[in-house]
Amino acid sequence: MTDWEAHEQDATREIASAATSAEIEDVRVRFLGRKSELALALRGVRDRETGMLLNGVRTRLEAAVSDRERTLADEELDRRLREEVVDVTLPGEELPVGHLHPITQIRRAVEDAFLGLGYEVRDDREVETVEYNFDKLAFLPTHSARSPRDTFFFDGNHVLRTETSPSQIHVLEQQEPPIYMVSIGRVYRRDAITATRYPIFHQFEGLAVDENLTLADLKGTLLHVMRALYGPERRVRFRTHYFPFTEPSIEPDVSCGICGGAGCRTCKHSGWIEMGGAGMVDPEVFANVGVDPERWVGFAFGCGLERTAQLRHDIPDIRALWEGDLRVLRQF
Amino acid sequence: MKVPVSWLRDYVDVEMPLEELATRLSISTAEIEGIERRGVDGSGGNLDLFRVGKVVEAVKHPNADRLQLTKVDVGEREPRSIVCGAWNFGAGATVAVALPGAVLPNGLRLEQRPVRGEISDGMILAEDEVGLGSDHSGIMLLDETEPGTPLADVLPLEDHVLLVESTGNRPDLQSVYGLAREIAALYELELRPAVEPVADLPPGPVEISIEDYDGCPRYVGRVYEDVGIGPSPVWLRSRIDAAGMRPISNVVDVTNYVMLALGNPLHAFDLTTLAGGRIVVRRAAAGERLRTLDGVDRELVADDLVIADEERAVALAGIMGGEETEIGDATRTVLLEAANFEPYGIYRSSERHRLRTEGSNRWEKGVDPHLAGTAADLATRLLVTLAGGRLTGHADVHAGLPERPVVRFRPGRADALIGIETPAERQHALLERLGFDRAGDDVVVPTWRARDVKREVDVIEEVARFRLEDVPNTLPARREMFGRLSREQRLRRRVEDALVGLGFAETYTPSLVPDDETTWKLPEPISVELTALRTSLLPSLVGAVRRNVDAGARRIALFELARVYLPAGELPNERLRVAGIAEGGFFHAKGVVEALHAALIAEPAFERAEHPLLHPGKTARTGAGFVGELHPRELEGTWGAFELDLLELFAGSREPVVYEDVISYPAVRQDIAVAVPEEVAAGDLVAAAREAAGPELKEIRVFDVYRGEQVGAGRKSVAFSVAYQSSDRTLDEEHATHLRDRIVAALAERFGAELRA
Repeated sequence: MTDWEAHEQDATREIASAATSAEIEDVRVRFLGRKSELALALRGVRDRETGMLLNGVRTRLEAAVSDRERTLADEELDRRLREEVVDVTLPGEELPVGHLHPITQIRRAVEDAFLGLGYEVRDDREVETVEYNFDKLAFLPTHSARSPRDTFFFDGNHVLRTETSPSQIHVLEQQEPPIYMVSIGRVYRRDAITATRYPIFHQFEGLAVDENLTLADLKGTLLHVMRALYGPERRVRFRTHYFPFTEPSIEPDVSCGICGGAGCRTCKHSGWIEMGGAGMVDPEVFANVGVDPERWVGFAFGCGLERTAQLRHDIPDIRALWEGDLRVLRQF
Repeated sequence: MKVPVSWLRDYVDVEMPLEELATRLSISTAEIEGIERRGVDGSGGNLDLFRVGKVVEAVKHPNADRLQLTKVDVGEREPRSIVCGAWNFGAGATVAVALPGAVLPNGLRLEQRPVRGEISDGMILAEDEVGLGSDHSGIMLLDETEPGTPLADVLPLEDHVLLVESTGNRPDLQSVYGLAREIAALYELELRPAVEPVADLPPGPVEISIEDYDGCPRYVGRVYEDVGIGPSPVWLRSRIDAAGMRPISNVVDVTNYVMLALGNPLHAFDLTTLAGGRIVVRRAAAGERLRTLDGVDRELVADDLVIADEERAVALAGIMGGEETEIGDATRTVLLEAANFEPYGIYRSSERHRLRTEGSNRWEKGVDPHLAGTAADLATRLLVTLAGGRLTGHADVHAGLPERPVVRFRPGRADALIGIETPAERQHALLERLGFDRAGDDVVVPTWRARDVKREVDVIEEVARFRLEDVPNTLPARREMFGRLSREQRLRRRVEDALVGLGFAETYTPSLVPDDETTWKLPEPISVELTALRTSLLPSLVGAVRRNVDAGARRIALFELARVYLPAGELPNERLRVAGIAEGGFFHAKGVVEALHAALIAEPAFERAEHPLLHPGKTARTGAGFVGELHPRELEGTWGAFELDLLELFAGSREPVVYEDVISYPAVRQDIAVAVPEEVAAGDLVAAAREAAGPELKEIRVFDVYRGEQVGAGRKSVAFSVAYQSSDRTLDEEHATHLRDRIVAALAERFGAELRA
């Protein structure tokens, strides 16, 4: 008569000591297989008590075997994977990576800053008439920009726009105030190509027309945009200037981010960097588009994107932005 | 304009630090673009070592033929012995001396040293050696002055020059006096008069007739006799040099000096060269000729305003004088012109003759007609003093000078526009300092600002520019606004982002290209490369790719999103396009175009086409443009290229998307293969299948094309994977089979297709 208690103890010991999947399989066959002592005994059981006893042994041993199998399988997988070690410092698969041009990145930053202020974004035609590029913007007949030496003329009446300001006229003719818009696009000046000038460049031009706007609102708006573009520490100051289509006209400066305003090479030791032009919309411009200057007040401002890119990324030569050189483009 | 600080001090006490002055002027008046130091460094007592000296003895150096050995009294007990290389002086001359220890502008420190055996205990100075000018033909000869006087007392030995940006609205700032006036107003300083008026003007005779008062509102002519032409004194030469002009001779220098001082350009004629001895201001006769001072023989047109004598034009009015009547060494009688010219006419002539001068630059901005008399007076005082001239004739011809404008001005309106309060009294006080007078609710504008200040807002600007540093930062109290991108602007960003995701680098190339037969061509381009507005982006991109190939770049993929300018009526049709070029063949480029459509939620359609830059057998047209393999003539290697119109692309986009239920009722997927004649295009099979099956055919894609014996010669097998799906019920096998049968029947009927599987 077999001592099943001892038998179970033997089996449990052997299960625990099986070191490989083959060994555990061997142990399973021996103790639980069709011809095992336990299987044969179960087949010959005649009484309920013995049946319950043997079934209990079988259930426990099966559980122990499958536990051990899982453990061994895990260990073996782990061992095998550890042998598959790779040099993780080798390069990854070379996937294509694209790049947005820095001017596009700045265009979006400008758009986002103005969207945050509730402005709409637009762009207008680049080939303009003298009427929209100069006359309606109140350029004096003697203004140097009217000369073919400064401006690209196709004929006496058509030019490549010299600034995005004609957008002011277009929007004022198309919409009733209040207006809050920023126009972004290419503009053209008859400049020789140098490190700091290119005859084609990009500007953004903002226009706000509402009741009760002030020069202080213009200053606050520019401060918001400059901080959006350059960081929250920046300050803005105004200097008087002259533009045909604004009165008063000012030039905004932003405090230099390289030296924080103490003076350095970038800001020519002034602590300030010129950002473009701005001012309160001249009543003559309103009169030219049929807006009542006694009721509506406007401010406008313009600024170059290339200049912004040069300052933001410390690009010494503006031509790099036009040459399509991947060594340049892949930096951004 | 370049403004020497020493000259400003003639009119206003400039005692504040120059950096501070420059900042204040930049904010409130005009940008100071820089401060140039000029002359001797005055720090560390250096100026004390420069003195006025009197030469008491001058003999040839005993050991050197080219040198003089001098004794010079510099106000000490004994004269100093100085060796000098110049011979334009002798005993009795008053000269400028630098003593040992003095540091010259070029950094040289003088030492007592022997020169060919004789002690030289200092240096007699030429103007270039102390930075007062460029002359080195001899030493400076000074007016008689007490020996030992600090040289800085008689010459601007140490000076600074302000570089003042000029703007079109402030002709008054094109002068030293105008800037002095601003400084006086900003700092509440006294402004000294520019010149003491010449009281006893001779009655004449100067014959002047103005035939065109519109072009020439005023002409003051003065005649000087017994004029001696010679060099100007050092102080005047140095001022002209500091202001950026070249000294020439006393009479010419005086005209330039007065222009720089006051802003009114002058001209001097040799009166004896004027036929009939008279001046006529008139329009040129068509075809009339004039040889100007720059030696150019010019043909005039009837729009040119000229100064003429009885017979011919002698000057292009306000722009440049003529050669035949210019002041020469032998000139004894001078006719001085202190006139006023209308800006636009001067501008037109200046443009037409491509001639810009110091004079025309000022006239174009509009010079105050009241200024001509003052300018003539200052010139008179200088010509009498410096050239020994006697004023013998005077005439002042005009048809009435303009009245000072009277403008309504409400200080409250200024506060409202600037956004900061300034007490009304303070506003009026600063306007008065600028030369405005108060007249009840109006202000009277000074003559020198009459062109620029005509409306209330112009007066407000005067107040504003004094308050710019105090303006606070506020934001508009906006109403009825919502900032958002338009659909086109959002989709444009999506196009850019999709291409970046596909590995393309964005590039910008010029919108102007070499002449490509477009109608929008610049008649006067700055270079042949930038001549015409482009009608396609691809040629510029090919250029960019080529440069990258030459630079050895790998995995080249470039795109640009920009405008083309298509001829259309009065203005070109400006269309935004996106174009790309990447390594790989037709199907790579087509994959990019398909991906781009997928990103936009649009379905492209392709048909064979031709394009001048693309491979004739591997080019397709889509609804928005072209895709193909770059013609090998354009670039060596295999390159895919595309150029698509953005608005056409967006027109096919289903943005914003309407949701479809693709979860509740699963799709049934099948493969279909048919054999068709070789020339049948896969795209046509797909289109026919869609038409036959209707909207329940959700997807159809060619996954294999096979040619071989089993199919037969001249035929090919095309295999599709298809998916049928309905959004309101589950499609059963029977219905799927029905759809499949309809597709197969349509393909058989239209293309002779045989079902293979």
